[in-house]
Amino acid sequence: METAARHALGWLLFGNLAGLWLSVLLLWPELGAGEWTYGRWVPVHLNVQLYGWTSLPLVAWLMAIYQVDASRVRRWGAAAVWAWTAALAAGVLHWLHGVTSGKIFLDWKLGSLTAFVLAQGILWLVLALAWWDRAWDWKPLKRWLGLAGLFGLALVPLSLAFASSPTIYPPVDRTTGGPTGSSLLGSTLFVVGLMWLLPRAMGIPGKTKPNPVAPAFFIVSWIVFAITEWIGGSHFDWWQIAAMLLLLPWVWLLPRDWSGRDWPAPCAPWRKAMFFWWGLLVVSGLLMYAPGVLDRLKFTQGLVAHSHLAMAGFTTSFCAHLLVLLTGRPLGGKSTVLVWNAAAFAMVAALATGGWLEGGGPSWMLESPVWRISVFAVRALCGAVMVGVAATWFTRWKSPS
Amino acid sequence: MVEGRGGMTPRAIRASLTVAAVYAFFLIFAQFSFVELMRRHGVSHAGETTFLGMMAAAGIACGFFAARVAPDSCFLRAALAIAAVCGGVAPFCAHSIAFGAVALLTGAALGAATVWTAALLPSWCGVFWAGLGTGVGYAVCNIPVIFTSPPETQAMAGAVFAAIGAVAVPNPGEETQDATRTGIPVWAMIAVFTALVWLDSAAFFIIQHSANLKSGTWGDLHLWRNAAVHLVFAVLAGWMLSRGWLAAVAGSAWGVLAVAAFAVNGAETRHLAGWIYPAAVSLYSTALIAWPGWFSGARDIRSAAWRAAWVFAIAGWFGSANGIGMAGSLRHVPAAFVLISGIVVAAVLWIRRGGWQAVVSVVAVAAAAWATQREKPRSLVDVPDAFHGREVYLSEGCIHCHSRYVRPGSPDEAIWGAATPLDEVTSETPVLIGNRRQGPDLANVGARRSEAWLREHFLHPRLLAPDSVMPSYAHLFRDNRGEDLVAYLRQSGLETLPQRMRTIASWSPSETPSSDRGPELFLRHCAACHGATGGGDGPLAAKFIRPPANLIEGPFIWTADGPDHLPRIMRVIKFGIPGTDMPGHEVLRDADIRALADEVLELRAN
Repeated sequence: METAARHALGWLLFGNLAGLWLSVLLLWPELGAGEWTYGRWVPVHLNVQLYGWTSLPLVAWLMAIYQVDASRVRRWGAAAVWAWTAALAAGVLHWLHGVTSGKIFLDWKLGSLTAFVLAQGILWLVLALAWWDRAWDWKPLKRWLGLAGLFGLALVPLSLAFASSPTIYPPVDRTTGGPTGSSLLGSTLFVVGLMWLLPRAMGIPGKTKPNPVAPAFFIVSWIVFAITEWIGGSHFDWWQIAAMLLLLPWVWLLPRDWSGRDWPAPCAPWRKAMFFWWGLLVVSGLLMYAPGVLDRLKFTQGLVAHSHLAMAGFTTSFCAHLLVLLTGRPLGGKSTVLVWNAAAFAMVAALATGGWLEGGGPSWMLESPVWRISVFAVRALCGAVMVGVAATWFTRWKSPS
Repeated sequence: MVEGRGGMTPRAIRASLTVAAVYAFFLIFAQFSFVELMRRHGVSHAGETTFLGMMAAAGIACGFFAARVAPDSCFLRAALAIAAVCGGVAPFCAHSIAFGAVALLTGAALGAATVWTAALLPSWCGVFWAGLGTGVGYAVCNIPVIFTSPPETQAMAGAVFAAIGAVAVPNPGEETQDATRTGIPVWAMIAVFTALVWLDSAAFFIIQHSANLKSGTWGDLHLWRNAAVHLVFAVLAGWMLSRGWLAAVAGSAWGVLAVAAFAVNGAETRHLAGWIYPAAVSLYSTALIAWPGWFSGARDIRSAAWRAAWVFAIAGWFGSANGIGMAGSLRHVPAAFVLISGIVVAAVLWIRRGGWQAVVSVVAVAAAAWATQREKPRSLVDVPDAFHGREVYLSEGCIHCHSRYVRPGSPDEAIWGAATPLDEVTSETPVLIGNRRQGPDLANVGARRSEAWLREHFLHPRLLAPDSVMPSYAHLFRDNRGEDLVAYLRQSGLETLPQRMRTIASWSPSETPSSDRGPELFLRHCAACHGATGGGDGPLAAKFIRPPANLIEGPFIWTADGPDHLPRIMRVIKFGIPGTDMPGHEVLRDADIRALADEVLELRAN
């Protein structure tokens, strides 16, 4: 678990450096001459943030659930994290050499795909051995849920290999060329599920009685997803808009669910940041899906802003909260938490503004160098600040002796 | 934090000067001018190899001898004095026997001096000063007047450096009791330094033996830069080591060296190698001189000297010889070697902490990735191939800046051409819709741009699209990839050309008045082909089979005078002339199109 936390922070730093380099290339494209161009660095930035910084805290969480560190395969737990990192490093080399599946966030192909599937296999084996070692001391319900979880997790490497295939593509909104509202609902419901599960799986005691509203609404949301995904459609169709609107109640339901629990004190700054970003993510996502708005923002920096809102804002806060919860140690002082979130907000605001202006016509992007460069400069400046904060977190993260 | 003696004291400054002298003498005399002197005096290749081998053997032997006797400042002064004599007499050698003697003495003096210096340093100063000394040593050798001087002068300079070092050697200090222990076994750290020296020597050999690479990295104008980079990064390494970050310094050195090793092989990335190679060398050189005394876990000075003797013998001499041998045979640094050396470095510095299980897992994953790796498809035929061009489009990550989807019923259609049928797009493998437009949509680019225009744009994007964020892709045209990509883009949406023609014919400008930016826009968008004065003689004019129109004298085939010639000119400016090299300027506002049209008419009238 400690190894996973350390590696996650290492990948955050590397991913941010790659992002900063991309910002620099947008300001001085001539620096990108040669084989390792902007187009090859983008998947490095995206995938390292997703499979390094975002995924490894979840790996640590899985290890905590299966009590890997208390089992006889403790050393193999660290080895599984190293395998994960090695696979991601192999991915980085592949993407920089132009070996890509062409699928954003599912960019695994040839050697990198094999490596990542193998790394996931090693992790699964470690979790299974830890379950075998520890489960006999658990209550029957936990033991069987753990086993069921193992069966579910066994499908992940196969699903990844399947989803990475260039022949598979999700439903497309004909009017935008992007995902449908139901697709966005489905992917966000996964996040909702994780957030709902976290306090329960970690045994965070609740102060109030369990509320059945959230689980019931969760199930209803999945049913609506299934129906609207089957029907398809665009952001002009009421059922797709309705599917997206089902996310709105979660802005209130999740904080309410979490507020009734006794979280460790060091989690507080990150929890507040996380719910701030969560609210902003859902509300801005809904607004951006509105007819007319999505048509203006599609293909612009507005969507880049929303991606950064999701990753630098919400996901980072969630992962930081998770690491603090798992290790019991704060991630940076209050000042670095504040600086990170302020820089992320400034970056999102600059990109969103640029995106809105760009949406008025491509001439803004291609014929207004001063304004465009100003937006990119703000982005690079914020990126540099975030690199500095990530470096501080990485270098100051001390493993307990 | 590495404890003690970190402040600026006379002893620390003298220690720093000693380190600088040892490095400077080694670099400018032993590595450079002595070899050149032998060549000038007609020593054969075999003789040169023999003498350098003798120097190495003497260095290794005297390194171990130095470890055996108690390290002492007086001995070190004597060794540097002998080195100074060697540098001083080398220019006067006229016979092979004399060169052999100088080689033996130089190797012996250097072998002993490096071991004693590394062992004694912690008793003189903090590790930061070792970094400063390393940086000064490298920087001095890169000063143009020294680096470019004849070998005789360089040998004398080496003698002066050694003499300064002999004078600067501090008196014996207190023996360090609390050497920092990194927990990394001695053999493992020696393996790391061997990998680093091996990689460095191979890259250095390639630079030295490739005229075009040498000029790119070692040219006169770059020497001051190299000196500055060496100094800054050695000081940085000293500071990092003073905080106990040995693994970070060694790991960074490998990372930068790996990038440099790849960069020296490509003409377009050579400038990058010029920047980063000195940085990497300074990082690991500082770590190399600091490790025996501060980080090897040595109990006392004598124990540090033994560690120094081993690391300099194996990493210094053995790693260097193998790196040069490998580069001499292969003429490049193989990617496999970079990868394996990286695994060695990572295994020792970090993975080792996860136990043997972590090492096994990483090796298994790396082996699996390697075994299932295939060469990416490349064109084997000379004719441009659109199928492979699509692979290039994918591999270069074009989707991260260009969409390939014209949204139906949106303003896209007027700018980027006919709407893209969704079924057609989603039936492609993989789907290349993309989600960002840093540049134009490319679904119908074949109906909007000629082959010649696309090629020139890949070569010089900013000449044709001022302030574009697109980098040059000139490197793709060194093999078939560039032409394949052009072929792919040319056939993209070509079938929409008739619809494009109808769109052009039916377009009429809005009544927006001219933006009055005509001259400025003309220089931005037209001058590259039509020339700054419109004479059809722009810098890119010769690149097209049919020269760009002379906008002053004509002939005006497409925009002949007539009742509606202003709208026709505006159409040509906005949409280009399909089937020719004249591109459209689809993203310009109508007011700007009108301003450009007015400017063109003004040229014609004059």
